[in-house]
Amino acid sequence: MEKRKKDIDLDAIVAKYRPVVSFRVKKSIGVRTPDWEDVVNEIMINVVEKLKKGEFRGDSSIGTFIYTITSRRIIDFIRKKSKVLKHAPEPNPYLSPQEHVENRERAQWIADSIEKLKPKYKEILYLYYYQELSREEVAKKLNISPRRVSERVNYAQKLLRKVMRE
Amino acid sequence: MKKCHFENLIDEYLFDKLDEKQKEKFEEHYFNCPQCFEKMNQTDEMIAVIKAHGSEIFRDFYAPRKTRRSRLEPVLAFLTPRQWAMAAVSAALILVVALGVIPNRKTTSPEFLINDDLVRGSSITLISPVIDNLDQVPSEFRWQRLRDNIEYKLFIFHQKELLWTTTTKDNFVTLSENTMSLMAPNKKYSWQVKAFSPEGFLIAVSSPVQFNFVTSK
Repeated sequence: MEKRKKDIDLDAIVAKYRPVVSFRVKKSIGVRTPDWEDVVNEIMINVVEKLKKGEFRGDSSIGTFIYTITSRRIIDFIRKKSKVLKHAPEPNPYLSPQEHVENRERAQWIADSIEKLKPKYKEILYLYYYQELSREEVAKKLNISPRRVSERVNYAQKLLRKVMRE
Repeated sequence: MKKCHFENLIDEYLFDKLDEKQKEKFEEHYFNCPQCFEKMNQTDEMIAVIKAHGSEIFRDFYAPRKTRRSRLEPVLAFLTPRQWAMAAVSAALILVVALGVIPNRKTTSPEFLINDDLVRGSSITLISPVIDNLDQVPSEFRWQRLRDNIEYKLFIFHQKELLWTTTTKDNFVTLSENTMSLMAPNKKYSWQVKAFSPEGFLIAVSSPVQFNFVTSK
């Protein structure tokens, strides 16, 4: 304990940032890549090592410090994985449709809650998230202003968040 | 609680619509802002559910006529359900007879069920890849064009799980290296295309077609 610089609570940092790092890794290399968990573990080990060595000097926030380590590791991973570095722009990858759905009951419950929403909110979710239309396109389709679209999306989200937090 | 202005970027980030710079900035931000991270996580989960259960959640939109039933309620109340059933049976009988007698001229767009999606209209013919054992990752998916101004949604599945999806107005999609790298040799994949009218209604669906490839590159 004494050896740690400035009494950094490593456990708390790992507990707080592990989900954030996992999210970022999954989004970049895809949940389909079975190595994603290894990459997260490596990053967390790396973070702890660097903190123990006192490499974090507080020039930036701890979040940014961990973000930088994460980004570097992801770039390495992608380089190693695909030696052909042709980064064509990804058209539209919503890559993780099933990632949260491990918990089927919860997913079904959320789905039921969406289904019970008023048609005007359901319709917005359908066009905006399911069909992935832009706010402007949705606005045109429904003959309302883009601002209205945002308001409805936000409101629908607010209703669902209540359900999801339970 | 005061709203963080980065919140507006959550959706675009999750759909990968931000440019590289914005993306980096936003990523750095959510490493520093627990509120945004929590919101993003919830939105991500919500989108995941919408993507996975969409066809069941949004049944009404797939079969738009069903939603209009409410306007018909006063008319429906005119007869009891049993009477309606009788009326429907008689109407169906008359129809069968009539159709048998009158040669059908213009057929109105038919309705059929594919994978639980109620589809009105035609089916889509997939052009390529439609064979097994390709010698490399397929880089292009092509299907028959229906008519102008239709949006197609391409789905690639591994076993029954959605691997990748995109929308286009063309009748083909060229995969990027990144997407191609999601697929590995000797595994079974399938793909499917759905077509949406400009109003956003599902109008046609292809049957899912399987493919696999033997070696990578």
